[in-house]
Amino acid sequence: MLRKEQNDLLTQTGPGTPMGHMFRCYWLPALLAEELPENECPPVRVKILSERLLAFRDTDGRYGLIDEFCAHRGVSLWFGRNEESGLRCPYHGWKYDVTGQCIEVPSEPEESGFCRRIKLKSYPLVERGGVLWTYMGPPEKQPPLPEWEFATVPADRSFISKRLQECNWMQAMEGGIDSSHVSFLHRGELNKDPLFKGSKGNQYNLTDSKPYFEVVESPGGLYVGARRNAENGKYYWRITQWVMPAFTMIPPRADHPVHGHFWIPIDDDNCWTWSFDYCVTKPLSKEQLQAMHDGKGVHVKYVPGTFRPLANKDNDYLMDRAAQKAGKTFSGVEGISMQDASLQESMGPIVDRTKENLVSTDNGIIMARHRLLRAAKALVEKGVMPPGVDPAHQRVRSAALVLPPDQPFKEAAKDALMVQPNVAHVSV
Amino acid sequence: MISESARMTTRAEARYRIDAPNSQPRAVKVIALDAASEQVIKRLVQLPWQRASFLTASAFACMPARSEPFSMTGWLSDLAGRTKDLIDEIASADLVVMIATAGESAQAGSLIGEACVARGVMTTGLVLGTAASEQTLSKTLGQLRPYSVMLVAGGDEDYIENMLVALRA
Repeated sequence: MLRKEQNDLLTQTGPGTPMGHMFRCYWLPALLAEELPENECPPVRVKILSERLLAFRDTDGRYGLIDEFCAHRGVSLWFGRNEESGLRCPYHGWKYDVTGQCIEVPSEPEESGFCRRIKLKSYPLVERGGVLWTYMGPPEKQPPLPEWEFATVPADRSFISKRLQECNWMQAMEGGIDSSHVSFLHRGELNKDPLFKGSKGNQYNLTDSKPYFEVVESPGGLYVGARRNAENGKYYWRITQWVMPAFTMIPPRADHPVHGHFWIPIDDDNCWTWSFDYCVTKPLSKEQLQAMHDGKGVHVKYVPGTFRPLANKDNDYLMDRAAQKAGKTFSGVEGISMQDASLQESMGPIVDRTKENLVSTDNGIIMARHRLLRAAKALVEKGVMPPGVDPAHQRVRSAALVLPPDQPFKEAAKDALMVQPNVAHVSV
Repeated sequence: MISESARMTTRAEARYRIDAPNSQPRAVKVIALDAASEQVIKRLVQLPWQRASFLTASAFACMPARSEPFSMTGWLSDLAGRTKDLIDEIASADLVVMIATAGESAQAGSLIGEACVARGVMTTGLVLGTAASEQTLSKTLGQLRPYSVMLVAGGDEDYIENMLVALRA
């Protein structure tokens, strides 16, 4: 359980809040590069950390992320005309560049210089690995660009999607470090999903539903190790990476692509779940890409024209009680991502953690909260930069491996837990 | 018509959640395995707890050498120094949390852990010492690993408090 004030602190990320302050220390995924496919394409509304923004790509290919509303009369610039190196408000023709600087106010004499006194709030927006990243903190503290491995491999080795999740970021993220639910909620998918099936590790997962856990602090966050019995007294270890504040990488299965997530607050009641899959040593196959587009693995099918999952709360997540009864799915919901999201959304927009009853195996979640609270306090009170900002903390990997009983994973998997160029993930 | 899932997950509906206790306090035994950990739990014991009790096994390190007869008694005590019986303590526990310090002996963890397994009591091991070398930390973790369903490494003193609060100890 958490006290109410702790729960409030962790779940509120708007401007002026401690966690909002912390999120604004990082480069965050804001939108997919494909959402702004060409110069002068239509602008896109972006809400992130409870701020209403507008992303656009100007005539010269420069990306901008600016306050959504015109400084003149508060009109949404989503209706604007993206033309001649700027975005023009359709109401009275005020025009802004990608930095939010007003560059034209037609009703005022050009010589007056009035437009130079008008500037909308803006944030940098840069493309890296098919994602447009933004940094929303003080310019003088802008960190180096993100170095997550999935965003640095060649484009044909990586697939990235995002989906709307209709609950607070924290309860979604906590699902990503809760390794013990896999043997239950996702058991129907392990041997069925084309991006999971065929792994020897699946058998260990399914035959040993009472894993032992080991939570170890890492420079950027946590290693969460789950240990299950393998053959001949050896252990099957699955080591999840959590990097602060909202990144997880799930341990691989066989030679399938490796996947993971970011959970980025839209506001306090909604978040974007970003999901990536990538291979280090070879391009994703046609079949793998098709499966990802079809919503397999950690991806979803969408309501056409949106990033809202096709199975959503408005249609009860397409609950199939017959499939649940027959054991085809454990919860009656199809697909790994929506199995997680449906349950996390069922908690309500922000779960009341004063009512929960955590158990010992929830120590990964308890430790993550502890580290977030500690880092937010250090940032607010002393200006200490939180873990995960340093690109070295981002050059990490998850791993799955079988080890003799006397070998601790942190040492035996030391190399496997770090990025090694052109070397595949360690997997079972 | 709005679906049940959509209607039931609104903020408005959250007001109708049952506001009654949904659990009873768990009996949590927190056992320091060495002298340094004992100092930590002596500070923790001052805080208000529901059903947590604090014990120390730091005397285990002073037990006779293996060649001499071993006793199951005499090395576990409460923080006032009163000797406690391991089996009785485990029998009345829902969860046993063993606290060790990196670099110190955690051998008492094996006896405690085995007693917990015999009684079907959940175990958590927590190794303090963020500043300890990898090798030192690893050695202590290795002593506790076989006997801890959940093992936490590198936590600080505040973490023990947060963890116990989170577990409603």
